[in-house]
This record gives sequence, C-alpha cells and structure tokens, in this order.
Amino acid sequence: MPERRVSPVAVSQTSTLVTKTGSWKYIRPLYQDRVAPCNAGCPVGIDIEGYMSLLREGRWDEARDLLLLENPLPATTGRVCHHPCETSCNRRQFDEPVSIHAVERMLGDYALEHPPSLTRAAERSEEVGIVGSGPAGLACAYHLARLGYGVTVFDAAPEPGGMLRLGIPEYRLPRRLLDGEIERIRALGVSFQCGVRIGQDVPWRSFLGLFDAVFVSTGAHLGKDLGLQKENVAGVRAGLAFLKAVNRGERPELGRRVVVVGGGNTAIDCARTAMRLGAETVVLYRRTSAEMPAIPDEIEEAEREGVQLVFLAAPVAFHAEDGRLRAVECVRMRLGDADASGRRRPIPVPDDRFTIEVDTVLSAIGENADLAGLPPELAVQESGVAADALGTTSRAGVFAGGDVTNAARTVADALGAGKRAAVGIDRYLRRLSDDGPNGTGLPALRFGNGNISMARWRDADPVHRINALNELVEFDDLNTSHFRRVRRRRDDRLSLAESRGGFAEVNLGLDHEDAVSEALRCFNCGVCNHCDLCLIFCPDVAISRRANGGGYDIALEYCKGCGVCAEECPRGALTLTREGL
Amino acid sequence: MSQVMIADRVPTHELMTSGHLACPGCAAPLAMRLVLKALGPQTIVVMPASCWSIIAGPWPQSSLKVPLYHTAFETGAATASGVRAALDMQGDRDTTVMVWAGDGGTFDIGLQALSGAAERNEDILYCCYDNEAYMNTGVQRSSATPRGAWTSTTPASHPEASAKKDIVAVLAAHHIPYIATATVAYPVDLLEKVKKAKAIRGTRFLHILSPCPPGWKFPDEATIELARMAVACRVFPLLEIEDGVRWRFTMDDDTTEPLQPYLRCQGRFAHLTDEQIAQFQSDVTARWKWIERQVAASE
Repeated sequence: MPERRVSPVAVSQTSTLVTKTGSWKYIRPLYQDRVAPCNAGCPVGIDIEGYMSLLREGRWDEARDLLLLENPLPATTGRVCHHPCETSCNRRQFDEPVSIHAVERMLGDYALEHPPSLTRAAERSEEVGIVGSGPAGLACAYHLARLGYGVTVFDAAPEPGGMLRLGIPEYRLPRRLLDGEIERIRALGVSFQCGVRIGQDVPWRSFLGLFDAVFVSTGAHLGKDLGLQKENVAGVRAGLAFLKAVNRGERPELGRRVVVVGGGNTAIDCARTAMRLGAETVVLYRRTSAEMPAIPDEIEEAEREGVQLVFLAAPVAFHAEDGRLRAVECVRMRLGDADASGRRRPIPVPDDRFTIEVDTVLSAIGENADLAGLPPELAVQESGVAADALGTTSRAGVFAGGDVTNAARTVADALGAGKRAAVGIDRYLRRLSDDGPNGTGLPALRFGNGNISMARWRDADPVHRINALNELVEFDDLNTSHFRRVRRRRDDRLSLAESRGGFAEVNLGLDHEDAVSEALRCFNCGVCNHCDLCLIFCPDVAISRRANGGGYDIALEYCKGCGVCAEECPRGALTLTREGL
Repeated sequence: MSQVMIADRVPTHELMTSGHLACPGCAAPLAMRLVLKALGPQTIVVMPASCWSIIAGPWPQSSLKVPLYHTAFETGAATASGVRAALDMQGDRDTTVMVWAGDGGTFDIGLQALSGAAERNEDILYCCYDNEAYMNTGVQRSSATPRGAWTSTTPASHPEASAKKDIVAVLAAHHIPYIATATVAYPVDLLEKVKKAKAIRGTRFLHILSPCPPGWKFPDEATIELARMAVACRVFPLLEIEDGVRWRFTMDDDTTEPLQPYLRCQGRFAHLTDEQIAQFQSDVTARWKWIERQVAASE
C-alpha cells in the first residue's frame, strides 16, 4: 500500500468564498445617478453635466449633439445668458463655479464650425404657426421641427431673432453667430416669414385657421414710462428704442452727456452703447449694486469701459430749455424693507436732491408686452398672457411663452418656455393625456425641480444613466476629499481701447484648452464617471468592473453593507438603501 | 483634472477573496488587499495572533491567494526569519516574506522578536496594521493606544494614561534600511511604499494606521475618512525613514487640520474635555516638530 503523507500542520485548501458574508448586512449600496444642480438650475433645461462628462472623454461631437438636443442657440446663450447654472454649481462651495458659460460657448461655436446632422422624429402632417421669432419662438420652432412638425415662424421685423437681434448690442452677440444658429433652424425645414405683423397684416381669426396649433411669443417691446413731466421733451428717449436703432445700423445723436435710468441689462446695454457713440455716460439706479438685476459681468465691463454708476438715486424732474432737455433732477434714495420681489424697497430721502446736466436721458426701467396686439379671447394675467408650464392658454390650440407671458424675462427662460410649449403642442396635437410617451408625467421630464428634458420627452437620452433618481445632489452629498482646488479660468477680453472704440465683441471667451480644463473641473455631481474609487476602497473585494465600461457589479452575497463605497463616492452617485425594505 | 484619479495606479489583480471575517468597515482587510496588490503572488505571509487570524477565515479556508502561515503571538518576526532562511536554502531570493501583525503583536508581545530580526537585518517585510488596541479580544489597551483613549481596560473614568509608543522611532534606532508609514486613505502612497520596500533587501517596516469601527466607536462607512483625518491633523504623519537616519515626509501639502473633529467623531474619545484635547494637540504638535527636526537633519 502506498504511504499517505500527512501534513505536519493543518493546511487550508479552500477559500473564504464559501462564507456568504452578505447575510450580515442591513443596508445595501445601490448605484443611482442623480441630478446635478447645474441641470436643475438651467432655465433652458440643458444636460450640462452630461456634456461636461462627454467633453472629459474627448467626445466632442456627442457633447455638441447633447447640448443641441436641449438648446437651439448655444453660441448665443454661451454669450448672453445670465448663467444661473453657475450660481447653482456645487463647485461654488469648494472653490469657484465651473465656467459653464465658456464651455457652452465653445461647444456652440464648435457646432457652427462642425454642423451636426440633427435627428428628427418621423414626419407629422400637422402645421404649427409661431408668431414672434425671439428665443422663445425659435426654441419652439426648433423643437417642433425636430419632433417632426411643419413649422412657419412669423415676425414683424425684417429679420428673425427678436430681442436677440433688436435689443442685444453687437459687442455682446456678433450677428454672424446668431445668423448661423437661425440658419441651423431653417435647415431643419422651418420657414420664416418676416416683415409680417400678425393681427395687423393678417387678421388673427384667419391666421389661427391656417394652423393646427399656434405659439404666441411676441415679446415685450413697450418701454415703461418714467412717469415724470416733460417726458416727451426732445432728449428723453426709450432705451430699448435707442438700442433697436443702433442695432439697425443707425447712429443717433446723443449729445455729450447721457444718463441711463434703470439697473437691468437694457440699462447696461444702453450705457455701453451710448459710451461707444462717444457720450459720457451715467447709469442712475434707485437701489444699490447688490440689487441690480443686470448680469454682474456686464456691470463690471460697463465700469471698466468708463460708465459711471450712480446708486440710490432716481430722477424726479426734467429741466428743459427751448424744448430741449438740459438737466435731470434726482432724489437720493435709501433702502427700506424687502418688497414682494425680495429686494429692499427704495425710499426717497426728501430734500436730498441733486441735478445732473445732461443732453440725453435713456429710460430703461423695463418693458411691457403689447397686449392689444394679441389674438382675441386670450386670457391675460397681470401684464402678460396667462399660460401654464407647457404654454397652454385659455384658447385651445393657442400656446404662449417668453416675455409676452409673466415669465422671468431672460433669454434662457424664453428658450425654456419655447421648449416646454413644443412639448405642450406635441401633446396637444397627438392628443396625449398628462402622461408622456413612457407613461411619465411632467415632473419626471424635469431635471429635479428644473426645466424639462427634451431627451426624456423623446425617450432618447443618449447618456446612459444608472437607476436614475430625479433628485438633486447637494454639496454635502459629495466627498470633496478626492478633489483638488483648481482656479476657474477667466474669459479673455478685448483691450479697453478696442472695446470702447467700436462694436467688436468684448468677451472673447476661453480658448479650447482652457475651456476643456473647465470641463475637467466639473464634479459630475450625481453621475458615476467610473473613477473606480468604490471598487478600490471596498474592504470586502465585493465590487467589480463590468466589461466595456458598463459600470460596476456589487457581489451582494459578500457585501457586508459597511457603506464605505457610498461614503467615498466623490459625486453622490451611490445610495445606501435599507436591506429587506 | 480636478479629481485625483488613481484607478490607473492601482493594480487590478486581487490576491484576497471576499467572504473574509473582518467586521464591516474594517480597514485591515483593505490594507492587506492593497499591500498584496503591490507585492504580487510571489509572497509568503507570516501572521502572529491578531484580528487578521480570524479575518483570514477558519480552517480549511483562507481569504488569501498566497501562502499564509499562522504563528504564535510573540513569534512573527522570528518565524519570518525562519521562512526566509528556508527559502534561502532553496536558493529562492525572489519570494517576499511578509509578517502581517497587529499593534499587539508588534508594539507589545512581538517586539522582542521584531527587535532581534531588525538587529540581524533579516530580509523580511514587517507590516504592522495598527488599530491601536487588542481589538479581536475585546478592545484591551496596547502600547499603541493613544493617551486619553477609552478601551475596555482603560475605562473613561481612567482613560489611557501613557502616550502611544513611537514605534517608527524604535525601529529607526535599529537602523534598518527602510521604514514607512501609510494609511488606506492614500492607496497610491501605500502602494508606492510597498513597491519600494519590496525592492530593498534587509528588514523593512511598514506601519499602517487601520481605523477600527467597533473599537474606536465610529460608523462603519467612515473608515477611510478617519484615516484621512488622522493624516490631515498630523496624528499620523506619512513618512519614510531610510537606514534609520534619513527622514522624509511623503505628504504633498503641509496644511494641517484641527484635531478636534478627528477626536470628536470617535466614541473612544467622547469623554475628553476641551483641556484634554488641547493637551492631545500639544502632544501631536510636539511629535510633529520632533519629526521635522529629524527631517531637517536629513537634508
């Protein structure tokens, strides 16, 4: 018989894989992508986190296409938007927000240089008429065209673009870019009929009969009066009318000294434009710089260019000689309690008055919509058309959005309203109930509590999301130990002399390299980007990478539910759930 | 890139399996997993009594894919010396012999054997994963327990009275070729140190701080964060010592975080008064300054 060799010590021959330690756990980790605050904060509803992530991987064309899925005018918004995305960026609480506008601008320019072939849904027979070709009308037209509808856009002005073309100065938005972006919409099959004022040249009744649905986005073009005597005297002008004249190529005579009244973007645009026409320019604002609604960068630029800002002051009287304005008398203000807008109410300080000698006053204290020119029987609320989130008005088949409603008056809000109305019109024409194509209602289409996603409405999100949860990722949900502080890149600027000397674009944005660096600063809040930290830090060797970059598997039969993976995830893309519940 | 990406620097092969018996959130298996990634399969592990004797799994199982030799508490370094000698007899100079011991088996019970091996400059890598008490037997204090800490033998009414033994200084006094400290919070730093140690002949000592959720009394998921905080507040400086005389910090920034949050998130320090924390802080600062002097003298 052969001799059996017995080991002198006990030797293990099997592995601990026979011990299913997963039975110990009472919580389990779950990969669950959530919503980045930039996406939720964007009034347009752009998947900002999504395109940042694609750019990080060098997938430029996909990043461009994702951006264009939600925003028809990225080269424009990259320049003129007030970028609330950056206000909500979690990075703000770490060092400085990602320069999202500069990345969007670069991608927008890239899209003009490398035009994509835009996908369209199957063609539909219905025709939609859009009245007003500003950002709301353009967005609605663009999205409806991509949803397969025939679209015709009408505008009273000779060229499309609305306030983007009429109101915004050339030095903020070069017209060739706007033209290029409108051309892209035209290339989708949208036809434009300019120089036609619906309701005047064509009666509303017959117009409404031409289309299966109509979107009204006529904007707000009537400058508010200052409410002072002698407001009609030569030398007192509406700021918006002045901007429109300059944007048409006119060079109105302003005299040596100009006072602009107001604190919004129109006021700053007026001041910087007047300065370019050679005037010494003062902006008079009744509150302080903190309450000023204009975009802070624009205010900063205005000051840099030599515009003088006078805060806590308002005009009370115009002094004229020979029918011509000579001076404006102002009263000092102080700030009282907060008003309905949340800003502190300005209160005049009696007897504290001063006078500024002036040749021209430009009033830019806001604009009203022209409600007289609207379709009949359209309900109006306060100073705008009453419309719900999807643009639905009191008249079936008539939708409205943008400045003509009571929405916030920004380019981004108008683009967002146009997109929502496109969904509203699609739903109306296809006779869909409150449920979307996937049985999802409107809340599910929103990025968290933000605007809706066209990708979700079309059920064609090109970005793969894992167990997506429509919930915002807060700064405290991140693990910032894994990030380094990296300074935000500043936009390049035209020299002061060149800025003041003409209408060349002042903000030059970032070069490609710096814009990509900004994309790399993005935390990718709430979305797994396969950084492997969960796998590396797992004490139980229970996480493995799937093949082909498809995320991770958790071996739940061994995971003890320690939660280290979720705790160490830099971006809050792992959730801990109670076991057995 | 803003995120410190480490995926490409951590080898993907695994020499440890799931199903081991460490408590949830224990840093010790993670430390072993990372060290073995750097050492590779040609490694023999010698293991005196410690939490890891249990973590490795009951006979006939093992959670390691390399040979593991269980040995008595006081004999880690002596046994490893023997294994090394046996390999040398076979002409095998490539296999790394690694002792994997806890703080009890290193600072206290195994110190004599370790000192002997270091003095003879045995060609072994000695890793001490330090969870600052005898955790496996129920949190009894060791000479690695920090002053002021609660353990089951130093209750809050009479917390640990002595300062933590400065084990790297003890080893430095043996003038062994390589000593390093590391934590699981900085995997790349840990891996680089192990790779460096692997390439050196003679006695190499690696001191790995290993946070223990039940013994230190903190939530399981905070293990990595605790290790990170220990480094950031200078309780556990990351350093390297060559030949016992050339000291060097391996952290890339010299900012320091306050000690308070590190102590306050651990139940074992819950009884500390603000004055006692101030005392703790001055101990930490004094040791840091002493190390700074060693580093300065090395330059």
